[in-house]
Amino acid sequence: MEGDITALAPALALIGYGLGAVGPGIGIGIVAGNAITAMARQPEMQGTIRTTMFLGIALTEALALIGFVLFFIASAG
Amino acid sequence: MAEVILASECDVVNEVICAPAEVTDLFEFTDPWFTVGSFQFTRTSFLIFLAAFIVIALLYFGLRRGRLVPKKFELVMESAVGFVRDGIGRDVIGPEGTKYVPYLLALFLFILVGNLFEITPLINFPVFSRMALPLFLSLVTYVIFVILGFKKNGFRYVTATVWPKAVPIGLRWLVGLIELVSIFLLRPLTLAVRLFANMVAGHLMLTLLLGSGVIFLAAAPDIGLKASIGVFWFALGLFMFLLELLVAVLQAYIFTLLSAIYIESSIHLEH
Repeated sequence: MEGDITALAPALALIGYGLGAVGPGIGIGIVAGNAITAMARQPEMQGTIRTTMFLGIALTEALALIGFVLFFIASAG
Repeated sequence: MAEVILASECDVVNEVICAPAEVTDLFEFTDPWFTVGSFQFTRTSFLIFLAAFIVIALLYFGLRRGRLVPKKFELVMESAVGFVRDGIGRDVIGPEGTKYVPYLLALFLFILVGNLFEITPLINFPVFSRMALPLFLSLVTYVIFVILGFKKNGFRYVTATVWPKAVPIGLRWLVGLIELVSIFLLRPLTLAVRLFANMVAGHLMLTLLLGSGVIFLAAAPDIGLKASIGVFWFALGLFMFLLELLVAVLQAYIFTLLSAIYIESSIHLEH
């Protein structure tokens, strides 16, 4: 069976992005969960905690977003 | 843009969901309304100007009088300004944050209106699902926070980033490298891609679900009971409609909040 590996590029890109989304998914869960715990313990710190939470989510999410861009690059090329 | 899906040939007998041959067809308007030089004025360009015009009109008619007892619409606009000024500007940047509130407010309202176009009937196109627009906005934020960093801290802005004194000497070069890449390269990129990716995903999901629902229901005489899939897709699409309302507001808030956080981190280098 002869096959052209480049024909698989979109499928491989899809699998790669799926794998790349696992880590940030777990990470965002940890960040948001701990932020909720912190807000429940000290509601008066809510503003600061929310700001820090979004900063943490932004940093964690960066990997998933890079994966999203690479998916488009890999599946188009 | 359901007409793209409706126009493409969908094999309702064998498939369970309809997708266009090229995904980019859902985001491109190939026939320009008119051409100025090499600049093509398409429906997307029109929507960008429309969003800017709506924001200007909202701010002008909402805030031009400044009554002691505001009317209903003025109250909404005043609470929007108060939300950005107190919730984002002063909370994140501090007392001097009031200076940056006009930029943050313009950013918030423009992104909000542009995102809400996604679920506005008869428009149904999020202008931020074209990469050029979020990238431009994030580059504006990038230029602002880099210039502010140099203006407030001088050259220490770069040295404190590359050589953080708070970190043990063995790890300092590694942390410095990561910080350098993340601040000057990843920040503008992720800021733009976050908004772009969310809008693309939302628009794609809405068009696929609602378009498939309509096609399957319309094909009911030919395929009989299988058309009930269309009911499922349509219901899911309507649910996504509500979810996209949440995403549109949240992404506008996050973009503005992160812009404020980045500006703050350039002003106060310590943390």
